[in-house]
Amino acid sequence: MQIYDNRAWLLVAPAFLVLAFIGAIPLVINTWHSFFDIFTLESKFWVGGEWYGEILGSSRFFESLGRSLMFSAVVLCVQFPLGLFIALSLPKSGWVRSFGLVLLALPLVVPWNMIPSIWLSFIDTETGYAGRLMAMAGIGFDHKFNAVHTWILLVVMDTWHWVGLIAILAYSGLASIAPSYYQAASIDQANRWQVFVYIELPKLSGVLIMALLLRFMDSFMIYVEAFGINAGGPRSATTFLSLDLGEDIKGFNYGPAAARSVIYFFMTLTIVWAFWRMMTLQRDASRRGAG
Amino acid sequence: MMRRTLRLLGFVVLAAFIILPLMQVIQLSFISTLSRDGIERGSLTLLNYANVFRTDRLAASLVNSTIYVTLNVAICIIVAVPAAYAFSRFRFRGDRAAFFTLLAFRVTPPIVLSLPVFLLFSSANLLNTPIGVALVHCVFNIPIAIWILESFISAVPREFDETAFVDGHSTGSFIIRRLVPVIAPGIGATAFFCFMFSWVEVVFARTLTITAGKPITTAITSLFGFQTDIGLVMAMTTLSLVPGVVMIWFVRNHISRGFTIRV
Repeated sequence: MQIYDNRAWLLVAPAFLVLAFIGAIPLVINTWHSFFDIFTLESKFWVGGEWYGEILGSSRFFESLGRSLMFSAVVLCVQFPLGLFIALSLPKSGWVRSFGLVLLALPLVVPWNMIPSIWLSFIDTETGYAGRLMAMAGIGFDHKFNAVHTWILLVVMDTWHWVGLIAILAYSGLASIAPSYYQAASIDQANRWQVFVYIELPKLSGVLIMALLLRFMDSFMIYVEAFGINAGGPRSATTFLSLDLGEDIKGFNYGPAAARSVIYFFMTLTIVWAFWRMMTLQRDASRRGAG
Repeated sequence: MMRRTLRLLGFVVLAAFIILPLMQVIQLSFISTLSRDGIERGSLTLLNYANVFRTDRLAASLVNSTIYVTLNVAICIIVAVPAAYAFSRFRFRGDRAAFFTLLAFRVTPPIVLSLPVFLLFSSANLLNTPIGVALVHCVFNIPIAIWILESFISAVPREFDETAFVDGHSTGSFIIRRLVPVIAPGIGATAFFCFMFSWVEVVFARTLTITAGKPITTAITSLFGFQTDIGLVMAMTTLSLVPGVVMIWFVRNHISRGFTIRV
């Protein structure tokens, strides 16, 4: 039961003032700058939509977009089944559960720029555990010049980093399913697969949509980790959207960088909107189910 | 029996996958990886850790990171508790739009905001201070804090508020004196997630600290050069993991709450 009262805005205001200052104002500044050719902030020239035309008219933009979408698709296809499977196999109590949760959360607290260094040192053929193992097995792993190998390394590294988040979120969803559902299923002699499809998956849908959004956006805009592995190489094979933007910023191309940021922000908004619709539909469906 | 063995095996494989890269880090951090007088290359040593604390900018970066992360957690919790209370108890004009805004800010990539935030902060004198980094990390942490706290507050029955109001509490004094103690585990979980996302963030923290107040992440990057002392890098990395591990241990039973957001 919620009361309708617009004075609630007074309670929400502090949070949104902070967000306006660090989020909304920068976005406005950015949009303004994206219409200028900027030499210094004092001397800038109006160019209108020129940067937008340049970026959206370049094949490079669409190639990077394709690579980013591809990366997100691969990462989600690997991490979601794996994360779900881990969550389902984790016991509901006991030391394996505690230990498992701590273990899964561990990679999440590693500073992001250290993740590529850790993995590069891990696959180093002289000092790394995995590197030496592969060398012994006669596998030549070349993440610098072999695009497929760079991709494999990125996907494995990203899975190491994030599968825990999916597993933890899914586990939290599973933990909130009332035991009576399972009892009803066992009376109906449902098998494991049916329990998963008809009870667990619907109950998990809310938390899974959230996990999907977080993981999709983070992988779609992966920057620090991908840059650390091979700086977008070999031959742009891992140049994702955000690496293009990073290049503009580092090259002090403020105008194009601002335009690119605006484009990326609108892509973000579109994606969030799509997920928002999904969440609303899911909520309505579950209400209908309950009522 | 067969299934239990398989499950155990799976668990061991998973544990190895997660732990081995980190084991490697810890192992290298105790090894002298450069040729030095008196210490053989490859020998076991505590020298790397001693060097971290002997190098001013490394030791300072540990302090800087701790300061801005702590500040960020404090700001987020202070502004998020009343907001989460409002979202949990009231409907108001624009509440769904407000929730959508939170979602959008949470997933806006830092690199998209980094340049304008830099320009804004340079005119507001917020560069090179922990306050600047603490503020900008709110952009992804305030939404998280509101969601987690909202789910904990919604678990508190409404009668609890009403009893307090009958006792003469105002909204403010109710939130501080009555609500906060009840949702303490939620505040702990919130602190953990805000801490985690702020501690590991690189792009903002690096862009906003040019001359001073440099965080741990920048300090580590600066160690890479012509002749990188990998042992030192790994000692620094190991130290950067310690606070996170301690936090995980404290909130391990509440870690899985939250993130189930209301739309």
